[in-house]
Amino acid sequence: MEQLFILTLDASNFILAIVLVAMGLVIIFGLMNVINMAHGELFLLGAYTVVLVERAGGHFWFGLLLAPLVVGLVGLVVEELVVRHVYHRFLDTILATWGLSIAIKQAVVIAFGPASHTVTNPIATSIEIFGTPYPVYRLFIMAVALLVIAVTFWLFFRTAFGLAARGVIANRDMAACLGINTRRLDRATFAYGAALAGLAGAVMAPIMSVDPQMGLGFLIPAFLAILVGGAGHLAGPLLGAAAIGGTDTLAANLWSPVVAQIVVFTMAIVVIRLFPRGLAGRWFGR
Amino acid sequence: MLTVQGLEAGYRGSRVLNGIDLEVAEGGIAALLGRNGMGKTTLMRALMGLVPVAAGRIVFQGRDIAGLRPYAISNLGIAYVPQGREIFADFTVEENLKLGLVGKPGGAGTDPASAYRHFPILAERRGQKAGTLSGGQQQQLAIARALVGRPRLLLLDEPSEGIQPSIVLQIAEILRRVAAEDGLTVLLVEQNVEIVLSLAADCAFIEKGRVVARHAAAELARDRDILHRYLAV
Repeated sequence: MEQLFILTLDASNFILAIVLVAMGLVIIFGLMNVINMAHGELFLLGAYTVVLVERAGGHFWFGLLLAPLVVGLVGLVVEELVVRHVYHRFLDTILATWGLSIAIKQAVVIAFGPASHTVTNPIATSIEIFGTPYPVYRLFIMAVALLVIAVTFWLFFRTAFGLAARGVIANRDMAACLGINTRRLDRATFAYGAALAGLAGAVMAPIMSVDPQMGLGFLIPAFLAILVGGAGHLAGPLLGAAAIGGTDTLAANLWSPVVAQIVVFTMAIVVIRLFPRGLAGRWFGR
Repeated sequence: MLTVQGLEAGYRGSRVLNGIDLEVAEGGIAALLGRNGMGKTTLMRALMGLVPVAAGRIVFQGRDIAGLRPYAISNLGIAYVPQGREIFADFTVEENLKLGLVGKPGGAGTDPASAYRHFPILAERRGQKAGTLSGGQQQQLAIARALVGRPRLLLLDEPSEGIQPSIVLQIAEILRRVAAEDGLTVLLVEQNVEIVLSLAADCAFIEKGRVVARHAAAELARDRDILHRYLAV
């Protein structure tokens, strides 16, 4: 029983981290039809923002607050310099953002070296859950992720900005004809998606090895989560991440991480075969 | 209020408009007639900024709007109800109307209630998904969505398409009232000649991307041969 509970906590942890990354991807894809291959590197930049802050003598919490702002700003620049010039050419956006991902990764290697860095765990205590010690910081990560998910849903389903963004997603030309400035929305949503990735990187940094490859470890599960969950609705990444993250943690615990990868990919293939528009596409009708 | 001079526009590799000259006077309803494929819808889309303008001028209330982006044109006071309506099917009626407001300066907080006054059926259906409305109701929603932003000029493309004649007349009646009450100018593209003659004061005929004739509706009602000349296939 306790084992199961701890396992559930671990799974939730992984799931929520994937959701943070996947949600940014889905927002950008939904609005601009751009698959952002550099999203993992935005995650990376979030983690390195914290490294940089700590190096300069700042505290982790300051880094955590700064990371989404810095990476959101990077997103704004990337959108202005790269994405907006190619967003109507679908394949080129993949190539352009892929190139960008390589460039960012190499820039990080040049600036920080290829070795891994550690970030101090700001809440290094554990609490007893059913007699088993569980790190408090992991609970904190979950709380942050839940908060961000709630804010994002509120933003997209309860505000004028969200209504406009969903309108652009549904019919870009018509939304523009109603006076909605699609350029400004593109810019804002790209920056918001980037900021989410940056926040995810920063919040995960204390429990990961911060190195130039760390983005990939989240980008692939995030993409799988979107494929399984569906990109047509904001709930897609939630369902997909639950399926991917849950399966992965469970299988890794029962057997081994390698078997877990096989199980996850097999499950993804089966789900995509049965529901080509993803789980959300089936349940939410779009 | 709207002056189009020598407008040339089209899609990649094919020019559809070959020098449109058109004058729309302030107030009232003007109609654009012509056979299929003559460029009526393309003209509407070019006026809205959805089709790039290759040459010519579009002067709206003293300002050249050729080359402006659709949202800017919309915010200057031109609204567009496209052929096929293009309502947001997965959104509620109320959300559709709010989408007509969010892009307008200071419009985000405005209540779409003004739309319900002219279109009471939409008030009844406000919480319903727009995709579940009948064709006539969807057309009313598309018009209401255009009107909540308080435009000066409404571009209305084929409002009667796929709608029962009785509903069409009802919508036409509402349009006439709104145009009169709010001082709205309407540029109407319509295949249904009876509707055109009952609504419009002024008719322009378009052929192969050019305006080839202009007649008062009263004149057309007397002399149906003119209609026959430009519209018969």
